[in-house]
Amino acid sequence: MSDSNAATFSIRLIRKLCKPELAEEIEGNLLEYHSMLKEQGASFFFIRYWYEVFNYLRPSLLKLFKHKHKGAMFIFNPKVAFRNLLKYRATTSINLFGFIIGLTSVIFLYFYLENELSYDAFHVDKDKIYRVFRTSFDGNGDPYPVAPTSGPYAPALMNDFPETVKETNRVIMERGLVTFGSKSFYEEDLIFADANFFTFFSFPLKVGNPSTVLSGANDVVISQNIAKKYFGDDDPVGKVLQIDNEYSYTVSGVFDNFPDKSHLQFDMVFSIELFKSFQWFKRWFNHGLCTYIKVNTPAEARYLESQFPGFMDKYMGEEFKKVGTRWELSLESLEELYFNDIQYEFDEIKHGNWTNILTLGGIALAILFIACFNYINLSIAQSHKRAKEVGVRKVLGVYKSRLVFQFIGESILIVSLSILISVALSELLKVQFNEYFDLQVIFNWQDVKILVFLLCLFVFVVFTSGLYPAMLLSSFDPLKVLKTGKPVFGKNIFVRKGLVILQFSVSIFLIIATSLIYFQLNFIKNRDLGFDQEAILIVESNNSLIDENYQVFKDLLNADPLVKNVTSASGEPGGFHDNAPMEVAGILEPVRMHSVFSDIAYLETFDISVVAGRAFNADIVSDRTSAMMINESAVRSMGLTPEEAIGRKVKEPFRQLERTIIGVFQDYHFEGLKSEISPLTIVAWEEDTRVFAVKLDATDLRAAVQVVEDAYDQAAPNFPMRSRFLDDSIAEQYLEEKKQAKIFTGFATLSILLACMGVFGLAAFSAQQRQKELGIRKVLGATINQVILIISREFLILVSVASLVAIPFSWYFIDYWLENFAYRISILNNWPVFLIGGVVTTMIAFLTIGLKTYKTAAGNPTEIIRYE
Amino acid sequence: MGKSNLGEFEELVLLTVMILQKEAYILKIKDELLAQAKRKSAMGALHVTLSRLEEKGFLTSDMAGATKERGGRRKRIYELTAAGKSILSEIHETRNSMWRQIPNFALKLVHV
Repeated sequence: MSDSNAATFSIRLIRKLCKPELAEEIEGNLLEYHSMLKEQGASFFFIRYWYEVFNYLRPSLLKLFKHKHKGAMFIFNPKVAFRNLLKYRATTSINLFGFIIGLTSVIFLYFYLENELSYDAFHVDKDKIYRVFRTSFDGNGDPYPVAPTSGPYAPALMNDFPETVKETNRVIMERGLVTFGSKSFYEEDLIFADANFFTFFSFPLKVGNPSTVLSGANDVVISQNIAKKYFGDDDPVGKVLQIDNEYSYTVSGVFDNFPDKSHLQFDMVFSIELFKSFQWFKRWFNHGLCTYIKVNTPAEARYLESQFPGFMDKYMGEEFKKVGTRWELSLESLEELYFNDIQYEFDEIKHGNWTNILTLGGIALAILFIACFNYINLSIAQSHKRAKEVGVRKVLGVYKSRLVFQFIGESILIVSLSILISVALSELLKVQFNEYFDLQVIFNWQDVKILVFLLCLFVFVVFTSGLYPAMLLSSFDPLKVLKTGKPVFGKNIFVRKGLVILQFSVSIFLIIATSLIYFQLNFIKNRDLGFDQEAILIVESNNSLIDENYQVFKDLLNADPLVKNVTSASGEPGGFHDNAPMEVAGILEPVRMHSVFSDIAYLETFDISVVAGRAFNADIVSDRTSAMMINESAVRSMGLTPEEAIGRKVKEPFRQLERTIIGVFQDYHFEGLKSEISPLTIVAWEEDTRVFAVKLDATDLRAAVQVVEDAYDQAAPNFPMRSRFLDDSIAEQYLEEKKQAKIFTGFATLSILLACMGVFGLAAFSAQQRQKELGIRKVLGATINQVILIISREFLILVSVASLVAIPFSWYFIDYWLENFAYRISILNNWPVFLIGGVVTTMIAFLTIGLKTYKTAAGNPTEIIRYE
Repeated sequence: MGKSNLGEFEELVLLTVMILQKEAYILKIKDELLAQAKRKSAMGALHVTLSRLEEKGFLTSDMAGATKERGGRRKRIYELTAAGKSILSEIHETRNSMWRQIPNFALKLVHV
């Protein structure tokens, strides 16, 4: 800005802001000062000049501050506000406490949401990447999505749609034993991917060129953590790692510990070349990997989807005819991937839970609202104390707008204080937060977004809580207020009651929902699943050595008295079950059945009883090559009786097995209680062993587990054993629900605490206001209990109304929630819960009120009535 | 307002106004304060003091004397009222009488 510009600009500023009657003088002074400085050629000209200008911008000279009512009031007087907050300490602390809890919840939720929404956002081509998934059809012709595809899809797509499909990438998720020298660890998150992995996705590389780092057949790229774990501070590049003591890979690059906000979770990326030599990798039917493609626009993706039926017919038409079923292909974009709530079969990627976010968000907001309502209610309740103040101020000539400012100023003061404390509190408690909710939320305070969010939150809370009381308080008629000493209340009594009802509805809703969620979880825990899950150790068959020596392993175990039974199988109850349409002799439509491929000890180990026919028999050699058993559900879906089913021949298409049904076993919950029991077959076929289930002697579990470990070590030396107890892994299925139960309990407690604090404040006010009435009542012979009841009555009515409001909402919500479970409690049978929710809340409210009013009720009435 | 107390700075300002006579407007007062009493003050701040003195009845002011440097704008010339003059002389007398009562040797000690 040049000098003369500065002068013009400052003059304009002064004219705009300062009082017009002073403008001439000030402008003249500034202009003269300006030319004087110039003449002197003064140093720091600019600073000195503007120093004078800004010094003129002070309240006594500004237009904004008209001293029409001199001395009465500033626009907002912080001193008065502070004094008021200190004067009504109880109310202030209730409000502070409420706001702090509400705001802390909301801040936490903000970070949670921000974290969840940032999933996969770092990929440069995130809007172009799609995952290919399949849609299969079950026995009833209903479609269900399946995540994995097989090896040939990617090259075929590139070949058939060269115009649209720009790039493809295949990812196989694996686990395995990784060895370097003497260090050997079982790694969970390994992936094998096509060479373009690091250019296709945007995972940041620390060492290595993204386009060449996976080009060698034995290349592996590792994370910094892995590098540290195996090589310490040595340069990892060029080091050779052994996988499953069988394959060697050379480290060719290192990636950053990327923000773990990715649907793909991995520690090491291997070249996929090894798999290309395997026969199964070339077959369309062997699904075990994820296929990603890059397409330029969403329109092209839709076009591609329209071409998929023809594509499938071209490659799989013949096979589809043979098997008697088909599947379709679809695309899902990377941006939707994380939050997609499609329930994919066999999906191994990390998914977010939108419902959880919504529930958490709803509850956090509800708590914030309860806090705001408390503020509104308590301010209204206090208004009689402030009425005189308002009256006097008005008489002294204060505008209404200035009173509104003063009252809003008070809420600004308390809300900003709460926000500061909440920020500190959420930073302090973040570890506990994450632990309690089992999350890994990162609190990033450096972001501009959080500042904007806090500002919005601040404005929002100030206006929701402060505006109504401010308008109400400032609207009092000074004449009436000063004459009677009491504010004249209009319809705000309904507002107050409405807010109390709302608060308690939320609390009652949460109590009912929490109880029913616990009932359901308990129901699941105690329900007989139809198979034995006690003291059964599941040992993974995860390397080629144990694969080879599985018989040795089983024989060793069977020889020990601490082991009651051993079986090897493709999956345990609650674990993996394949799914295929099977041709049953004499039935036209193929029957889609889940399957277990095991040795003959499966039923015995899990204590599954046989309903018809016979179980596998060790003495009948042909059982191992030609027998199978089915469950009752399978019999039903064939439309036969168990006796009719026995003896029929069944063809399994994928493994090309032909078997005869020798028996029917009882239905058991092999998929958990979330889905109905579907048709299942157990086939005596030991070529697909993925787990061993070992039934142990429960009296000495520790020794028994040691026995299993020793046997494993003999059968597969140098491989660590991976095992888990069956009941633990079954309980894990309900982790999500347990988490929800926790969230509900925590917040239900908080909400009822806040609501009660609000009522506590209201009751205190009510008791004080009606002191005289109560005193007279006591003089006339009312007992303490009666007096308490008089005050409590109005609140109890409100709580009862709140129960009525809450019941339908909680009913609807729980009904929706229970739909997750095929086997669930009946809401109707649990009707007392709805009553108890109301009663418990009423009791708590009554206790709170009673506690406060007892003092008033028990006091000596003469003390109160004496003054007039 | 009863017997007004005069702050130290206010007293200086009043004296400056007296000294400057017809030239007593804010810019000159500012310069004079700096030259005579080594007191730096912004015009805005000075304005507040001057208005306060006006309010207390020690000063009056008038708009006059537009010049070219001021872009043709007049300045506010301050003048002491009778009350202003009397309070200044009152202060002067009080101080003089108090000075006179100080024993000589004490003064000498001060002036070492």
